Amino acid sequence: MSDASPTPTAGADTAPACSTEELLIVLMSRDIRDWETCACGALSMIPAASMLLAEATHAEHIEVIILGSEQLSGNLGKDIHFLSQRGKLDLFYHSAVQFDAEGNFNLHVIGDPDAPDRRLPGGYGSGLISYTAKRIFFFRTEHSTRTFVPKVDFISGASVTPPEIKRAPEPFRLYTPMAIMTFDREAGRYAVESIHEGFTADDVRANTGFDLDIPDPAPVTPPPSAEELHTLRSEVRDRMIETGTYPEWAETALQPA
Amino acid sequence: MGVPYIPVRGLAGTDVFARRDDMTLDRNPFNEDEVNVMAVAQNPDVAILHARKADKDGNALLRRHGEDVMIAQASNRVIITAEEIVDRITPDDIGGDYISAINVTAVVHAPCGAHPTGVDGYYDMDRDHIEEYVSASTDDDSFRAYLDRYVIGKTEAEYQAMVSARELVAEPAS
Repeated sequence: MSDASPTPTAGADTAPACSTEELLIVLMSRDIRDWETCACGALSMIPAASMLLAEATHAEHIEVIILGSEQLSGNLGKDIHFLSQRGKLDLFYHSAVQFDAEGNFNLHVIGDPDAPDRRLPGGYGSGLISYTAKRIFFFRTEHSTRTFVPKVDFISGASVTPPEIKRAPEPFRLYTPMAIMTFDREAGRYAVESIHEGFTADDVRANTGFDLDIPDPAPVTPPPSAEELHTLRSEVRDRMIETGTYPEWAETALQPA
Repeated sequence: MGVPYIPVRGLAGTDVFARRDDMTLDRNPFNEDEVNVMAVAQNPDVAILHARKADKDGNALLRRHGEDVMIAQASNRVIITAEEIVDRITPDDIGGDYISAINVTAVVHAPCGAHPTGVDGYYDMDRDHIEEYVSASTDDDSFRAYLDRYVIGKTEAEYQAMVSARELVAEPAS
């Protein structure tokens, strides 16, 4: 149930310490492919940093679209939305308050939708862009049974849809503080791709509210390297501050603890 | 646009779609392999849109955000409220989204008419009031109390006096 933060194992190969946010930034940045057109929505510090880290490392030709940055100020939600509907958006990021066994996610309410315990902002384009962007990276800063539930309280976006609904073929990828998972639309199930250092398959099972496939032995996620963290905390941090891309956040979040 | 409905990619299988009766699933007539959501056109009876400046014919510079021009073009009647009434607005004027008089039914001079939101070059949003509104809107009773206090039976002048709207304007608009 508890929030999981990565606890590097002791020993000669101990990885440099980093925050949960930095871990997710590094892991997602590695999976960005060069030349992709990538975008994130409003209030998306972790995705923004991960795109800029990829651009600063292995993917220098990506197109980075960050809403609310100084380069792209104003209301560009429609532009990103139409880009995605045209099939030109390669990668988009989503977080959500709940994810379920069937690959649904919830950004709208907690509890009964007609008398919710909590109303959330919803998602302007989540039920649209998650259908039309070629790849989706989901992420969540906690891995717990309140987040990964058997059934979401409200389906903001669905993973499994009838075959006539046009969907991008690639599986959704989901990054948490414990593991990287993928959702296979054909199988209709989540599978663990790798588990981060310091956690076991039992930890993942105990903190996930639904059944999922875990290979045995489960591959260990290569932890963020000293070089990746250095680039993030220097080049990417400076760039975010200089370009007005969540500068206050970058200043405090991207530095050694 | 005047279209009867518009096809949209996405939304199938969501509760957003399930809970609405203004969208349906149908086959793409040009590609039998594809099914899309069809959303029925939204045509408001009246749209009320706030502009920075307008002229007496109804040409106006709308605040530069959102979909105001599209809303105007979808609506049966359009009322423009404006910070300033000027002699003439043309498509070449800068500082806002131009909307032509063709789309506009009536123009009202309404300084501070965007309160509690702001208008670039005139006044900022009133954050305290927006917070009051947001906390009032958490349940029906507190929202009813908000409406009773500020809206129902109140004139615009009474509202502006209550929220000190004019004090937000630092200097006369240019």
